[in-house]
Amino acid sequence: MIKRVRFHGRGGQGMKTASRIVGTASFLEEFFVQDCPLYGAERRGAPMVAFTRLSKEPIFERGIITSPDINMIADETLLGDKSANVFQGTWEGTITIVNTHYPASHVRNVYGVVGEIVTLDITEIALNVIGESVLSSTAAAVVCKLTGMITESSLEKAVIKELSSINLKKELIEKNLQAALTCFDRIPETHPHYFEPIKEDKMDEIVKLEYADPRIGTPSVYAKGNTRLKKTGNWRLFRPVIDHEKCSRCRTCFVYCPHSCISIDEGDYPQIDYENCKGCLTCFYECPKKVISKDHEVRAW
Amino acid sequence: MSMKNAVYTKFKDISREEHISPGTALCTGCGGLLALRLAYKVLGENVVIVNAAGCFTLLSVYPYNPFSSSWMYTAMASAPAGAQGIRDALDILIKKGKLKSEENLKVVVLTGDGAANDIGLQSTSAAIHRGLDFHYFCYDNEAYSNTGFQMSSATPYGSRTATSLPGEINPQGTVQRKKDLFEIWRAHKPPYLATVSPSHPVDLSNKFEKASKFEGPKLFIALSPCPPGWSFGASNSVNIARLAVQTGIWPLKEAVYGEVKHTVIPKFKPVEKYLRTQNRYNHLFNPVKQVDVIDNIKKDVEQYWERYLDS
Repeated sequence: MIKRVRFHGRGGQGMKTASRIVGTASFLEEFFVQDCPLYGAERRGAPMVAFTRLSKEPIFERGIITSPDINMIADETLLGDKSANVFQGTWEGTITIVNTHYPASHVRNVYGVVGEIVTLDITEIALNVIGESVLSSTAAAVVCKLTGMITESSLEKAVIKELSSINLKKELIEKNLQAALTCFDRIPETHPHYFEPIKEDKMDEIVKLEYADPRIGTPSVYAKGNTRLKKTGNWRLFRPVIDHEKCSRCRTCFVYCPHSCISIDEGDYPQIDYENCKGCLTCFYECPKKVISKDHEVRAW
Repeated sequence: MSMKNAVYTKFKDISREEHISPGTALCTGCGGLLALRLAYKVLGENVVIVNAAGCFTLLSVYPYNPFSSSWMYTAMASAPAGAQGIRDALDILIKKGKLKSEENLKVVVLTGDGAANDIGLQSTSAAIHRGLDFHYFCYDNEAYSNTGFQMSSATPYGSRTATSLPGEINPQGTVQRKKDLFEIWRAHKPPYLATVSPSHPVDLSNKFEKASKFEGPKLFIALSPCPPGWSFGASNSVNIARLAVQTGIWPLKEAVYGEVKHTVIPKFKPVEKYLRTQNRYNHLFNPVKQVDVIDNIKKDVEQYWERYLDS
């Protein structure tokens, strides 16, 4: 019997740590475990995945999980992101858990999810209890509960062990623990239908690579400044809003925006490009008149 | 101490034109990106960037490109060599009349502190020695941030990185002092050399403006607060860079043919104030305060400035 868990999140949200916490909790329950993160060529704020495998027998599988039994989507903006491909390999035996305030039926209708689906707004819980949107312990708690095989006490020990190892302050670990246990309680006991776990495909196939001309492997980009098509605005958790009536047009926000997302209009007022603003909030903190506010983004899709 | 005949005196002097589009893969609130964006405003559009491997390689990920100008990617060690090739090619094209001289490009090397201090130091030294006409922009985030924040020789004493974790034997974290790249470069007596900070856009702009008057190597080290690596909130990059200047940790200076001048004399705020803004220094305060380590950091800053304020 093997359970495969896949975590989808954005760099910095804590999915790597979440996969480790689930791994450690499973280890404490005397499972064989494996966990690893996978980052693309991007970083904080960019889509990433992490994996945990737990089994009563030694695990011989390696690498990425293509058909998860539990699929944790910690960032709802990834649902519509083709490059993140969050539903890859989900099947009727998969339990998908989405971090959103929408009900499960809505997510299922919009995205045609296969298998079981559960939703819980763990960002809200993290913001209320921890005070920041770090989702490592909360996401781990949800997954632990969904396995149906990990007890609250193992989760508790795993959270303390993993968060201590990354030098988190004691009071922050306490808060994380509280948030984790809240999530653990919120997820109902699940008794999913038993499915024969499917064999990860292509496990023992050797892929032979065809020779390709080096010019194919070293692509050139001829477009000028087309990164704005990437619309990194969905990285944002808080939206900076300028009160133009009180704005003194000093240009501080424009000068200090690291991502070139603030421009000056004909009236000499700063305007924010919300399609791409990543929500670093440098403008919010640097504004000398304090006329920029921050609004929590609720509806990302 | 303001610069004489400065072109830039206030924020309104800074160009509204952008040369790096939004939507790059760089981290939210990247301090180095802000420094590069501000520098680019002065450099203008006629630029070719030669990018050594590092965080900024991710500015352009196929099929996307944020720049209004050209960009080439090299291995960590060889950006200055790549710059030499491009400079030579441009010169030959102009000489042969195949490129108009008004279409000439500025060759700009873009590297992190790892490439500048460690892996690419030799090729940089050689390029300065040859008098290559280029700009060199080092975004100094004080570690190998692209690969998970491992220690580089620009990592400051007493800070934590993934490969200099505070432990029983070395409770201070990083044992070594930060390499003084400014002085290494200055020993070559290049025409222009400066440190900049994204918190001081006017100072930064004036330095890039002034540098453009010199032919030969023009080198810059930009303090680049790194939210994930230094472990602080993404909104704090500018504030932390400012504190680095105000505490005297990051001296803003320039050297013309080796002669040093400080462009900002700091207010000498307590160094602790800077250290406390970043979790990479958390072990100096928790669970017990490592007074000796903090004193060493203070002493380094004091000794640096005593030397310069006396002369």
